[in-house]
Amino acid sequence: MAAILIVFRKEMADHLRDRRSILVAMIYPLMGPILLGIMFLFVGGSMQVGGNTGAPLAVPVVHPEGAPDLVRFLEKHGVTIEHLSFDPRSLVAGGRAPLALILPDAANAGRPGPVPVHLLTNPSRFDSIVAAGRVVALLNQYQQEALRGRLHAAGLPAGIMNVLQIEQENIGRAAGPAVILLTMIPPFLIFTLFTGGVHVTLDSTIGERERGSFEPLMMNPVTLGEVLAGKLGASVIFTLMALGVQVIGFWVMLHSVPRASLGLLAPPSAVRLALVVSVCLPLAVLAAATQLLISAVTRSMKEAQTYLGLLPLIPGLAGMVLALAPVNAQPLLAAIPTFGQTLLMGQLVRNETVSWVFIAITAVATLTATGLLLLLGFRLYERETILFPA
Amino acid sequence: MIEVRGLAKSFGTLRVVEDASFVARDGEITGLIGLNGAGKTTMFRLICTVLRPDRGVTLIDGVDAESDPLAARRRLGVLPDVRGLYPRLTAREHLAYFGELHGLGREEIEERVAEVVEVLRMEDFIDRRARGFSRGQQMKVALGRALVHRPHNIMLDEPTNGLDVASSRAVRDLLRRLRAEGRCILLTSHIMQEVSALADRIIVLARGRVVLDGTSAELRGATGLDDLEEIFMLATREPLAEPALAAGD
Repeated sequence: MAAILIVFRKEMADHLRDRRSILVAMIYPLMGPILLGIMFLFVGGSMQVGGNTGAPLAVPVVHPEGAPDLVRFLEKHGVTIEHLSFDPRSLVAGGRAPLALILPDAANAGRPGPVPVHLLTNPSRFDSIVAAGRVVALLNQYQQEALRGRLHAAGLPAGIMNVLQIEQENIGRAAGPAVILLTMIPPFLIFTLFTGGVHVTLDSTIGERERGSFEPLMMNPVTLGEVLAGKLGASVIFTLMALGVQVIGFWVMLHSVPRASLGLLAPPSAVRLALVVSVCLPLAVLAAATQLLISAVTRSMKEAQTYLGLLPLIPGLAGMVLALAPVNAQPLLAAIPTFGQTLLMGQLVRNETVSWVFIAITAVATLTATGLLLLLGFRLYERETILFPA
Repeated sequence: MIEVRGLAKSFGTLRVVEDASFVARDGEITGLIGLNGAGKTTMFRLICTVLRPDRGVTLIDGVDAESDPLAARRRLGVLPDVRGLYPRLTAREHLAYFGELHGLGREEIEERVAEVVEVLRMEDFIDRRARGFSRGQQMKVALGRALVHRPHNIMLDEPTNGLDVASSRAVRDLLRRLRAEGRCILLTSHIMQEVSALADRIIVLARGRVVLDGTSAELRGATGLDDLEEIFMLATREPLAEPALAAGD
């Protein structure tokens, strides 16, 4: 045990002095909060500009003279009408306008029957979706008011045309774009878990071998297991440091973004984020064990870096898939390391209820897998030639 | 005392050490010499337990190195051919790290480090990080690391390689002092004059076998040659079926 601590202390002191690697390892995790923060701000900004807030909304209109009552109605509700004299398709398709309205020209205006209103939108752009939602709502409102006027003139009750009275109540903790953006947090955390301490694992194993310092180290009265445990301990601590930086980054971001406009009713509390870190603890050891295993089967630092660069993508991809196709947390899924944690972290950041049984299954399954990986890694390190430079 | 009996080691089909036996005694400097590829480094690694032999026994002060490698390592101080320093640690931290791994307490380490610094003249760079050290400075740190726990048996691979004249002389003086204290010293060197001047007993390795083993006088007597270099060339050129002089003769 004393030897493990001695090796651990040495690795910590050694790698804390590697300022360049530390800087990269600590800045890299902040990319997640920064990226998501920008997305929150962008989406939030779009929601505020286009949402039902009474904020100005410019709508290019072709032939506004074709439906003067409608144009007046739109202007009364805060819409700025921009007269257009050409086909607005290229304008909307190119993203220079979120949408456009084509009203009937002078020749078709005033014909009996419904007024043809052609709305051009571009659903590939978020501002177009939001603006279209508002314009369609205004068009429906105009239609309802006009219909009510006609029914009243005919002496009929206003509700005669209604079959359903629809009321929608949102009981989720988050809604709209907030849900999608929050679900993107776990893949970032998983990525950090597999990259945060990788420089320490590589430098203290393959780096040590390439420098020729592994051999003199093993000439001391220490076992290989003690040496590797000390090195892994340092790697796990560096991983958790990077994770801590990222979790704090997410906390600051979520408390700074315009959450109401996104449907984020309350950002996850510090306690919830602490739980996220706790859920990640077994994964930090699993990541270090995987890195150790790869360091044992690769011949050089360069080769190991190639494999370890790809490694985080595997569990990270699972998280990305979950962001797009949500899966309910089932005990069987909890037993899949990284997948179970991705589900759990998603629930935690979305302020949903989490199951302690699910947490326990996740931890036990991950620690078991970690144990097996460590066993294999240690076995591979028992090959005597592994100590010497290639 | 380091005692090697019938040691053999192969890597695949390549037999690197074959049935090697010799004794490095306490209070003596034993020189292990051989051409490149003769098996000196493998022999060193077998003795200090980082390699496991296919056959044979290594005893360090009577401790079987294979069955109790940690006890054997406690009795050994080794300067390997690759010095292997940590660029971000200072020279002092290198010595302290290895001292700690040998179970020394903080005060004991401070005392031993001061001793090593004085003996190896490391005052100028003891608190500098190892990145950018000259070969001589690297060698001193590695040597200090091997000596910090005051081992009874000391194994040195090319101990004066890369050192200037003054430092080489300091190392030679140190080795003589350690011998006078009754320590067992096993060293390799390519410098015949150095081996001739320092070693009480010389072992010549060729193709993984011990082909000569004896004091300088015994080797001269057995070969009829005066110059150690000539003796060495003869021994390594001609495959001898049996050692000209067995250990202990």
